[in-house]
Amino acid sequence: MHPILQAEDVTKTFDGFRAINALNFYLFPGELRTVIGPNGAGKSTFFDLLTGRAKPDTGGIEYSPIPDSPATDLTKLNEYEIQRLGIGRKFQTPSVFAEHTVFTNLVLSLKGPRGVFASLFHRLDSSARDRLDALLKLVRLDDKRHWKAGLLSHGEKQWLEIGMLLASEPRVLLVDEPAAGMTDEETHRTGELLLSLAGKHSIVVVEHDMSFVKQISVNGQVTVLHQGSVLCEGKFDDVQSHPKVREVYLGRGKN
Amino acid sequence: MYRILIYLTVVFYACIGRALAVEATPTVSPGRARLLAALLAPPAEQVAAIRGLVGVEDSAITPALTAWRAGELFLVPLPDGSRVPATLAPAPAGGDQLVALSVLDGSPIPDPNGPSGSSAPLLIAPKSLKPLDTTAPLRRAMRDVLEVAGVADPSASVRRESIERLGQSRKAEHLPLLQARLVIEQAPAVRSALGDAIAFIQLADADPAVRLAAIAALGEAHSLAAASRFKELLAATPPPSPAEAAALTAALKKIESHWKTVNFFGDLFRGLSAGSVLLLIALGLAITFGLMGVINMAHGELMVVGAYSTFVVQNLFVSAFGAESLAFHFYFIAALPVAFAAAALVGLGLERGIIQFLYKRPLESLLATWGVSLALQQTFRLVFGPANVQINAPAWLQGSASLNDVLFAYNRLFVIGFAALVVFGVWLALNRTSLGLLVRAVMQNRQMASCIGVRATRVNMFTFAFGSGLAGLAGACLSQLGNVGPGMGQLHIIDAFMVVVSGGVGNVLGSVAASLGIGTVDQLLQPILGAVMGKILVLFAIILFLQWRPGGLFPTRSRSLD
Amino acid sequence: MSASAQLPDVEPRFFTRAQWAAFLVPTLVLALVLPLLNAALPAEHLLRPSDFTLNLYGKYATYAVLALGVDLLWGYLGILSLGQALFFALGGYAFGMHLLLMIGKDGQYKSDLPDYMVFLGYKALPGHWEPFYSFPFAAAAVLVVPALVAFVFGWLAFRSRIKGVYLSILTQALTYAAALLFFRNDFGFGGNNGFTDFKRVLGADLNSPATRRGLYLASVLLLAGVFLLYRWLTRAKFGHLMQAIRDGENRVLFSGYATARYKLFVFVLVAAITGVAGALYVPQVGIINPSEMTPEKSLEAVVWVAVGGRGTLLGPILGALFVNALKSWATRAAPELWLYIIGGLFIVVVLFLPGGLISLPAKFRAAWAKLRPPPPAPAAPAAPAGDLHP
Repeated sequence: MHPILQAEDVTKTFDGFRAINALNFYLFPGELRTVIGPNGAGKSTFFDLLTGRAKPDTGGIEYSPIPDSPATDLTKLNEYEIQRLGIGRKFQTPSVFAEHTVFTNLVLSLKGPRGVFASLFHRLDSSARDRLDALLKLVRLDDKRHWKAGLLSHGEKQWLEIGMLLASEPRVLLVDEPAAGMTDEETHRTGELLLSLAGKHSIVVVEHDMSFVKQISVNGQVTVLHQGSVLCEGKFDDVQSHPKVREVYLGRGKN
Repeated sequence: MYRILIYLTVVFYACIGRALAVEATPTVSPGRARLLAALLAPPAEQVAAIRGLVGVEDSAITPALTAWRAGELFLVPLPDGSRVPATLAPAPAGGDQLVALSVLDGSPIPDPNGPSGSSAPLLIAPKSLKPLDTTAPLRRAMRDVLEVAGVADPSASVRRESIERLGQSRKAEHLPLLQARLVIEQAPAVRSALGDAIAFIQLADADPAVRLAAIAALGEAHSLAAASRFKELLAATPPPSPAEAAALTAALKKIESHWKTVNFFGDLFRGLSAGSVLLLIALGLAITFGLMGVINMAHGELMVVGAYSTFVVQNLFVSAFGAESLAFHFYFIAALPVAFAAAALVGLGLERGIIQFLYKRPLESLLATWGVSLALQQTFRLVFGPANVQINAPAWLQGSASLNDVLFAYNRLFVIGFAALVVFGVWLALNRTSLGLLVRAVMQNRQMASCIGVRATRVNMFTFAFGSGLAGLAGACLSQLGNVGPGMGQLHIIDAFMVVVSGGVGNVLGSVAASLGIGTVDQLLQPILGAVMGKILVLFAIILFLQWRPGGLFPTRSRSLD
Repeated sequence: MSASAQLPDVEPRFFTRAQWAAFLVPTLVLALVLPLLNAALPAEHLLRPSDFTLNLYGKYATYAVLALGVDLLWGYLGILSLGQALFFALGGYAFGMHLLLMIGKDGQYKSDLPDYMVFLGYKALPGHWEPFYSFPFAAAAVLVVPALVAFVFGWLAFRSRIKGVYLSILTQALTYAAALLFFRNDFGFGGNNGFTDFKRVLGADLNSPATRRGLYLASVLLLAGVFLLYRWLTRAKFGHLMQAIRDGENRVLFSGYATARYKLFVFVLVAAITGVAGALYVPQVGIINPSEMTPEKSLEAVVWVAVGGRGTLLGPILGALFVNALKSWATRAAPELWLYIIGGLFIVVVLFLPGGLISLPAKFRAAWAKLRPPPPAPAAPAAPAGDLHP
């Protein structure tokens, strides 16, 4: 099978510090991949590289949503071009439009033309309205649709951002620490949501919470990042018992 | 050896002659006697008598003839029937009467009818006397005398000027005088002017070899006046001989390339000093901006506070020691700390009163500080008046040093040195003091710093006061370079903003590079494009620079979005 | 969460009935009643607005359009442009060129050339002046010249993602540089004297009351039109995007919007409209010179917006009226205090009244509510059909 997203031999340096070092990463269509790694392992920088926020010094990042058609070189594109190709990202700290209502947050994220004139003359049709209603129910914010997003709790903001991500109907979802700030119950529901999305979407989740990682990686692979490169890759249990991983995580708290 | 001996002998006698002349002043020197004779001579003999004064060295000749030519010389009749040449001036006691001043020594002529032994001056009713007549031949004769009189003037700069004038006149008759002067002249600048003038006259010599030598000498001397003369000669009809034309072209090229270099280095020097001024202004701005994320629009006015402090200190020195005293020349040294302290104090008030409430709202603090800037401008206007105030540079900041024809003005040299000192001081303060450590900690991460117990409020206060004090220093320096008035701050502040924008935030080195770069580019562009176009071009260069390196200014941080 | 945490019902319509009334009544009074009273009543009649008053209101209307532009950029899009006076003045200059040519031979020197050109020894009209004999061309230039300058500057600035105080400073430098340029005689636009002594517009005598009424009316209608246009803009999805860019530009970028294009669009649109306001301002005050495009003028417009209340469309209009009325009073009554007043306004508004005058009623209501016993909690508002669209 051809990977939908592949990064080969990618290196990124900030002021002499190698945040990403000769990284190879392959994501296959429909996969739910979990990425773990200690602080400073380069997880967020890796997402930055995938979404055009930062450019790699060397190496290539390619995206091929349709098998057997030519791949797109992501290193040449900027943030909004990559988003339009179908790669969506949820940030570690929830970033929603605090001054807008929940509903408007979703409207702004809805898949559709993004041009200046399109948004000047934009009208919501009934199918879009139905879709928004469905999304609101999915992220359980239906009763707060007219709340200012800034007034939501941390967990609710996380859910809203996931909803915004889904509203844009991406092929690839890059999700950075979705469970942060959530109650155990909310975390579990988030895991279920992600599992239900896999298959239709290809998903990369960066996470610290090991019980959550265990939950969402039942069928998928776990990638361990360390010092900007892949330390090891495999099933959750294999990774957990891997001696190098234990060494890296020793004394680092979680698990 | 032999020539040196002759030279020394001549110098020796010349010195003795001078000493004797000085000694003889109380009576009437031979020069003055001849001057007197010429003034009193019957009209028919006056021209010859005046021409006889050519080359006579006496300090009274120039003022007397100058006054005569201007129609300000009078022959004052005395009761004994003699007449005394004199100029008239208002009596010091006031009133309509005028006193007569002798042209020989400028002293008032005593009233012969007054009580004997008294020195009451002779008073003359206005318009009772007619000025001494002049005619065209007389004026010509006087001009000739005056022309060469300056060659022997005691002041080197007057000598130099009149020698240059003689050279420009290109009259062969002056050649012997100039050559004689060259033998005794000591001052190097005057000697070189003499050489130029002689060569200039020799350009028209009958002997081709002398002409060629003169051309070569002028080319060597990089004489600007010669360059335009060379161009005339090259274009003249009949054209110069091929050998001469070649020599002229070569010398012309030499002169022009020399002055191109001189101008370039002159501009570079001015650019460096303009950059240093900019650096002094921008440094404080960069520090406060780096810490607060706030552009202080009143920074220009803090600078004016420094400039007016200098003015006040100057006035205090004048009233305490007098404007002529030696102590006065050190007022500027005393003004520097005062300017720093005054601006720092105002800055402290600004931070406590307004800015501390606006740390998270940079755009709003920009507006509020703009409001402060307006109020301060009006305060300056009310306190010091709307016009520029007079600041006199101390003697040690006046004038300039010349190195290979490039002029280095002392005040500009001072600013460059001072800016270097301040940059070094700021670097020391930031990197070698405990306050500096705290400042850098707060600059990097405000929240983290306060978590580990840094009292951010204090650090903010002191840093803002420090940055404001630097503005005061800049203002003090600027008072020595340009006008000091209420609107002075607005004149420089936008350039300083440009420095901060292109130099990067809180980055002393970036500010140094940007201000020197902007100052120099501005100065180098000015002769080509004019002051305004140069400024506009620099602005666009900065905008284009930001196209190229926006990342250097706005580094992307990961994890969170903004 | 208390009820106050929820947004009030979002009004899906462009204007409610009350809002239409609030818009139409003052518009009709200003555009219809005042000019009619001015034209119909005898000069000394108590109810007749004087020619001077109409002229003053016309001037204020053009200022209000300038302020609305500052607000759209600053209050909605988060761009504090300190160069809006430049666009105002550029429109004024473009139209001033036409007005200057319309003087014809009635100038001081009785020449076809404008006075300052005769004075500076021009022999013939420079080529780029020729088309300004045509009113339509001048009218187009009023829109195009500011828009073009805004486009070039904005394209460069937004492309390299310059924002915040950096952008403010660059816009300030832009207008400063332009003012320096126009102050020069050899730039060819009359140096520091600028253009003045206009005689007629579209064949009508500029000094006649009828022409002045016409200019006043045009200014008021422009203000009303621009208000409606901006109202429509800010309520469309476009308006929500503007505010989203203000609050978190990067998030908008990651939602797939080319934010630089949005910013450029608003920047250029506002520049063109501000240029029209400047073009109407010039014949009413009778002069345009480079002091109109200094950074100080731009900042003055910013203070109108800040005082009135940014992020609203009514605030800037109120602010422009209030501050300018204050200014014309202060410069007569206590000229030496004016800089203190405007400087103080900057400080007071920023520190104590960030919402501006327009936020005062709400503040009073809140203070009043505190004084009185709390009313019974209102029922949760019913959800309207949608936030963005009817």
